[in-house]
Amino acid sequence: MKKVFFAMILVVVCSILAASPGFAHTPLCSCYNNGDGTVTCEGGFSDGSSAAGVEMRVVNAAQNVLIKGKMDEDSEFTFDIPKGPYKVQFDAGPGHLVEVEGKDITE
Amino acid sequence: MKKFAAMLLGLAVMAMSIPAFAHFQMIYTPEAAMNKGGKIPVALVFTHPFEAGHTMDMGKPEQFYVIRSRGENTPKKTDLLEKLKPITWTSLTNSGKAWAMEYSVRGGDYTFCLMPEPYWEANEEFYIKQNTKMIVNVGGEPGAWMEPVGLPTEIVPLSKPYDRWTGNVFQGVVMCKGKAVPGAEIEIEYMNHKPLLNKNAFAKEANATAPQDAFVLQTIFADSNGVFTFGIPKAGWWGFAALDLDPDYKYKGKKCSRDAVIWIKAVDMK
Repeated sequence: MKKVFFAMILVVVCSILAASPGFAHTPLCSCYNNGDGTVTCEGGFSDGSSAAGVEMRVVNAAQNVLIKGKMDEDSEFTFDIPKGPYKVQFDAGPGHLVEVEGKDITE
Repeated sequence: MKKFAAMLLGLAVMAMSIPAFAHFQMIYTPEAAMNKGGKIPVALVFTHPFEAGHTMDMGKPEQFYVIRSRGENTPKKTDLLEKLKPITWTSLTNSGKAWAMEYSVRGGDYTFCLMPEPYWEANEEFYIKQNTKMIVNVGGEPGAWMEPVGLPTEIVPLSKPYDRWTGNVFQGVVMCKGKAVPGAEIEIEYMNHKPLLNKNAFAKEANATAPQDAFVLQTIFADSNGVFTFGIPKAGWWGFAALDLDPDYKYKGKKCSRDAVIWIKAVDMK
């Protein structure tokens, strides 16, 4: 009986571990002011995997989406700087959201 | 008798071919792992870093470039040779010709690569050519730090050169013309005096004191696969120089020690 119980626990633990593939895989996004009225954001993951296709949003203080797009094949996203306070959202799915405040974006 | 003479001659030749080194080609910038991009200073100095000692005159490098790599993007090479400005670097004992520049970085790995003009070591009557790499990272997203850059002599890191805690090991493969060098001799020096880039000089204060000369310049050998391992005892920059990897190499008809150097920076766990 004890053996069966242990086997069951093992199965449960293994399935939990197997269900977390994003382990050690932190989303990263940095944005730079290009000095020409545009900002370029570079996205990626801490394990070096590509962020191509990840959804990008530029939102204002009221959380309204001003600009929406995707990371290009080089994991970059360039947009025209909006008027007023804004922040950039790099949204690679639940638990993988990075936000960058517009006021923190420098050259 | 003849055999004995031949042996003596052999020994003499061997003794002559074991050069007294401890020269280190530096590619220096203050931080290896930065949170944010921006302009970073870069200095090229040929010196004796542990003691901030005699600094040799550098000629204009044959090549100096940076390879930027971020995530899965194709690495991009940028030539920096014409951006270098001549400076005079002051050591604790003399001053020597060196080079400096500033470079703007964003995210990912930047592998700075230098092929210096060979240096004529008059005392030993041979040239020294230390092909050198230094890798910095911005923002934590890795690039191609583990890939060979294709220098004729090169240390290829097996450990991320900018993420070492004090007490970690650093491992690398010594390569010559794309092949591992079994049993390569590697000298290691700690950058014991802080480079002061606003003064183009070493700080007078030392971070560590060597109890005896052997500790100034540590020596290890690569294994049969050309792999070496070094435990890092103290935070800061550490230089690794694999020596004379191409024993028949000549420059202007003279013996030239073709070396490979890499710099890494360790940080204390706090």
